[in-house]
Amino acid sequence: MKKSLTRRTFLASAAAAGAALTIRFPLIGPGAADAAAAYDPNAALTITPDGLVTVHITKAEMGQGVGTALAQIVAEELEADWKDIRIDYPTNDPKYGLMLTGGSWSVNWTFDTLSRAGAAARLALIDAAAKSWNVSPADCVAERGVVRHLPSGRALRYGEIVARVPIAKTFSEDELKQITLKKPSEYRVVGQWIPRLDIPEKVTGKAKFGIDTFLPNMVYAKVVYPPVREGAKRTAVDDSAAKRVKGYVATVTLPQLVAVVATSYEAAVKARDGLKITWDPGPNANVSTESIFAKFAEAAKDPNATAWHEQGDVKSAMGGAARRHEATYTTDYVAHMQMEPMNCVVNVADGVYHIYTGSQFQTFAVGTLAATLGVDASKIRIHQQYLGGGFGRRLEPDIMVETALIAREVKRPAKLIRSREEDLKRDFYRSATLQSVRAGLGNDGKIVAWEKTVIASHPGKRWGPDFVDKKTGLDQFALNGADHVYDIPNQIVRAVPVETGIPVGYVRAVAPNYTFFAVETFMDELAKLAGVDPVQYRLSMLGSAPRLARVVTLVAEKAGWGTPLPPNTGRGIACVSAQEKKTPTWTASVVQARVDPTTGKVEVQKIVCAVDCGIVVNPDGARSQIEGSLLFGVSNALKERGTVANGALAQSNFHDYQVLRMNEVPETEVYIVPSTEYPTGLGEPGTTTIAPALSNAIFAATGARVRQVPLLPDRVLAALRAKA
Amino acid sequence: MATLLINGKSHTVDVDPGTPLLWVIRERLQLTGTKFGCGVAQCGACTVHLDGQAVRSCQTTVAQAAGKKITTIEGLDPAGRHPLQLAWIAEQVPQCGYCQSGQIMSAAALLARNPNPSDQDIVTAMSGNICRCATYPRIKRAIKRAAQGVRS
Repeated sequence: MKKSLTRRTFLASAAAAGAALTIRFPLIGPGAADAAAAYDPNAALTITPDGLVTVHITKAEMGQGVGTALAQIVAEELEADWKDIRIDYPTNDPKYGLMLTGGSWSVNWTFDTLSRAGAAARLALIDAAAKSWNVSPADCVAERGVVRHLPSGRALRYGEIVARVPIAKTFSEDELKQITLKKPSEYRVVGQWIPRLDIPEKVTGKAKFGIDTFLPNMVYAKVVYPPVREGAKRTAVDDSAAKRVKGYVATVTLPQLVAVVATSYEAAVKARDGLKITWDPGPNANVSTESIFAKFAEAAKDPNATAWHEQGDVKSAMGGAARRHEATYTTDYVAHMQMEPMNCVVNVADGVYHIYTGSQFQTFAVGTLAATLGVDASKIRIHQQYLGGGFGRRLEPDIMVETALIAREVKRPAKLIRSREEDLKRDFYRSATLQSVRAGLGNDGKIVAWEKTVIASHPGKRWGPDFVDKKTGLDQFALNGADHVYDIPNQIVRAVPVETGIPVGYVRAVAPNYTFFAVETFMDELAKLAGVDPVQYRLSMLGSAPRLARVVTLVAEKAGWGTPLPPNTGRGIACVSAQEKKTPTWTASVVQARVDPTTGKVEVQKIVCAVDCGIVVNPDGARSQIEGSLLFGVSNALKERGTVANGALAQSNFHDYQVLRMNEVPETEVYIVPSTEYPTGLGEPGTTTIAPALSNAIFAATGARVRQVPLLPDRVLAALRAKA
Repeated sequence: MATLLINGKSHTVDVDPGTPLLWVIRERLQLTGTKFGCGVAQCGACTVHLDGQAVRSCQTTVAQAAGKKITTIEGLDPAGRHPLQLAWIAEQVPQCGYCQSGQIMSAAALLARNPNPSDQDIVTAMSGNICRCATYPRIKRAIKRAAQGVRS
């Protein structure tokens, strides 16, 4: 398998700090543009003679408004007129580098690159105009899509330059780095409230998602999935009843899958129901929530578990501590439940696989497809569509692989749409987890020693050796957040990856959902033990993270921290350095909740959130992402509990896997700290604050500590009883 | 064979009368603004109007829909400028956008019968529509904005 993505490029990108140029477009263009042709200064944009600037968005649009934000970055340095800006979502090509959308990385990874791409194109346009006038480029300026020669007042629009003048100037990597970019005080497009470009077609039904693809001569496929999620083996297939269904086309029997193909969706469903498959359920047939947590508890006993993060001398500091405290936290499986069930259309033409879907990770999909199909990566073309929700689900190429295999067999374009039930049963869930934390406090109440063990399944192990640390075998994305930013001199975080038979993936905000649940709830427990207010306690340990301290102070003030509340009502705080410690968006939330002491039901009344993400590219888009991430957190924290029975997820649809609806939405207030720091991301950090802040609010309201997410009524009642 | 009147246009389709209306609208007639989300009337992504009432097209058969006026998001306003659509843009409601056709169709049925809905009216009418991106606060604001526009 020819891997276009190495572990080094993946991890270097993933762990990218600050302004590092992590995704490199080959910015040196194809050279001189022929007059009257389109000008492609680099992979980021194209300028056509009509003056339109098309910014090529290589990030998946799944609701973040990423297309608009990235176009704003380009337009700023290009000095384009915003009304000339268009965007498209190109088909995969090596020239786009790593095509991956996740981790709240999009703006963070591309801000510098796209700024320089825009600036380089502007300089080349100025250079071309100056040459055509036979003047010095130093006497020319570019502004709102026009190059002007200041002494003479002559002017050419960008489209006119592209149409009439050969553009010769190119840039080496070094020259690109040397371009002086604008100061934030000079921004005219970045930081502006600009309506999102994708919204108008999303209110008329015209926006095209993967499921909206139609090709001539297309057939519909249904795959029959085994009753056990992993490890079942097919022993017999009888398609005699399926063949009698009107519209039946074929049965596809491959080592990887059995599918039926028909001329319509409903015929494919009927034919699928007529297939009789006999399964050997395999080794995981008895896997259950109970057996998984028993396995986790066993793994947690390992005193020699791999140290993932270590500093100082925990052993002696813990021994010398005046007081010690420990607690164990658990979280349940969480499903993506993106609104658009997984689907794909594939057409194989002249040996090229044309794949129509919305992907968050084209680079990985191309590698996986090429290897599975036995073709060169150049034969895989992923035609990117809008994503009807991603949340990490569309990082996985599983639906593309299945559809490609079927299309190849039936030699017709094939469309595969999973039902919601299939979508949920075939999901790659956020791992259930068990975390134990232990701390030693000094006489002054300060934490002197911190010891934590994280038991979870690690998604990277399934993806392959490129996605785990070679030395430890650990997936850093299953653990990040456990290395919090509090000033604690002696710390150790151990980790044990556990295989359960239930495959896990990356679900919005990923590990920091559970790692910060443990860190931030435990921090509250320690504050109580030390007899210090939870806000003050946190601030006393945030000396090396002043920007986080600032949002903690801000959110406490805005939430009226410490002011009286009615009975059974409390406020809780949590603060995080999500989504990555190296590229943190400093986020703090105060959640106000009321607990019904007789039913244990929790009502989230209000969330106040303060965020410092550096430069904000689109303020309303930013706000929208923060609001959504907070409410996703409420849904996770209050409602979502995936359980396992007989080797598969027990839930099947929205009736038994419930997510947040409008009747449970709290009031939200969002504060974004003005900043000129390099930008980080906003899609996920808010999510991670909610479970701990809510658990802390329940404690403040009732004195009962709930250490299991979701914070279900029966768990709240149990905690209330334990207190009494 | 069934004849369906969708957005003022008559369509004759060769399907079993028990076929869910959703699949005919989406996959036969390619009016793809109506979305498939759950198939069991739990999420509202497939909401259309049947004689002005909001229904879940995944649970409505072709036989039930025949002879009635069916309206999809494409037919809500010929120019796509229904007050709710304009309000949805003004409030920048959609994120991924997949559920929004259904949200708008539910909201349109609400405003048609109750031009001045209270917060509680909105919550009651809209809680059958799931938005996994959780754009709920903006949906609520957009409905209020549209209602003000409809009244004034």
